[in-house]
Amino acid sequence: MKSRYEAAKNVFIDSIDIDDYIELTSSVTAFQQLQHSMEKPLKMILLFGRPGTGKSILLNRIQEKLKHQKEIYYFDTPAPTEKEFFQKLFKVLTQKDLPRNTEVNFSSLIDFCKNLRGTREIIILLDEAQMYDADMMEKIRLLSDTRVVKFVVSLHKTEDEDLIAKEHFQSRIWEVIELKNATKEDQTAYIHKKLLKKNLFEIANSIKAKDMKLIHKFTKGNYRECNKLMFTMFEICEYYDTHEPAKINYSHIPKKIIEMAALKLGYVHV
Amino acid sequence: MYDIKPLEENWKRYQNKKKKPYYFALLVIIFVLTLFFLFNKENEFFDAYMNKLDNGVDISNSESIHLVSDTLINEGLIRLETLHVPVKNSLEVVDKLNEILVDIPVLDLKQESHIQVDDKNREKVHLDIIETSSVTAYEDVEKRFVQSNDIDDALFLARSYYKKENYKKSESWAYEVNKLDTNLEEGLFIFIKSKVKLGRKNDALSILSNYLEKSNSDEAKKLLYKIENNKL
Repeated sequence: MKSRYEAAKNVFIDSIDIDDYIELTSSVTAFQQLQHSMEKPLKMILLFGRPGTGKSILLNRIQEKLKHQKEIYYFDTPAPTEKEFFQKLFKVLTQKDLPRNTEVNFSSLIDFCKNLRGTREIIILLDEAQMYDADMMEKIRLLSDTRVVKFVVSLHKTEDEDLIAKEHFQSRIWEVIELKNATKEDQTAYIHKKLLKKNLFEIANSIKAKDMKLIHKFTKGNYRECNKLMFTMFEICEYYDTHEPAKINYSHIPKKIIEMAALKLGYVHV
Repeated sequence: MYDIKPLEENWKRYQNKKKKPYYFALLVIIFVLTLFFLFNKENEFFDAYMNKLDNGVDISNSESIHLVSDTLINEGLIRLETLHVPVKNSLEVVDKLNEILVDIPVLDLKQESHIQVDDKNREKVHLDIIETSSVTAYEDVEKRFVQSNDIDDALFLARSYYKKENYKKSESWAYEVNKLDTNLEEGLFIFIKSKVKLGRKNDALSILSNYLEKSNSDEAKKLLYKIENNKL
């Protein structure tokens, strides 16, 4: 027999599927801010924040929302080589595949873009841009200077290195949008909405405000960490539900299980 | 989920680690409470002893002493012996206090009987006097005045120095009193009288006349009469 927690566990599998998008106060603000920036005659927009703050899903969401109004493309993972990146870009610009055994000449691409000025405005959402090297970023910048291609560059903000300070971003980014970790209230709404979206009302109700506080403490409001913790929590619940039902309280997720999940994920140590 | 058992073990260890500071805090609280309890117990014993003494009862035979000494099985006798010492000492302190009170260097009240000193002031003077048994007592009060600016301290010094015929100092301290409270006649009178004693009778008369114009005080008039007739 399937455990009631299996469905709950699967809700928190980390994904950037647009169906999993949860509208929160902070995400609505970020969405509006990004949409507003894209309306401005900017060449590059920087979207940055720590991993797990919802950058990718926001880019997905904006592409989904604006795809019928604008020429907008989402480059999810960085192309492994420069050649492949320009192949991808060629297809976007010309709507044709690059003929076999040919390469994109960058100068010609720039000229091509210049000729498109005034007729088309293309937006490219570039996820995980920290993986592009400086040369590549320089070429992206030159493309954006044609004012035909506008780039929304999504970057990780790391502890050791503030990428925004990097030379190639410093002078060229015209607008910066920073995504932050969720507040306790936002995270609570996120967990509840995710569960309710799958009609798991009873399970959503079994996570009380006190538990939410603890979950926020462990995950520091990071959506990815929250997904991981919730997944592990429900995995433990699933085990008890199947093997030792006496150890689980269906009306209230025991604090012990939240702490066990945190231990397993290394948020706390013995 | 195959690793649930080790995870449960880990959780138990985590719980113990988490509770450690609370256990420690609890131990500290118990220790402090024990000390507090023991200290209070000793004080209660001492108070009971003092009460019996005050009532003129021979406490060495009283039941309460037996009770406490019973609880202090090993130290009982030693404690009883040592307890006599502080009691004796405290009695000596009380006697000394009485002696000191007799020797208070206060202003001669025969002539100043009209000056009202409220109970609060008198009480403060008494407390000060305990310190006057030492040679540096006046200096201590002077030092204290620098920090506190307490008018009672200044008045006490003015009176005391006047009584000791140190008129320069009494004038100076009476001046301090006047700075703090211009309406306090006693301070003003000591100031004026000190001036007379220092041979500055004209100054004294001028100050007193000015004061009389404003206040029309009977006491001031009497003092004027004394100064004018050299009866001070």
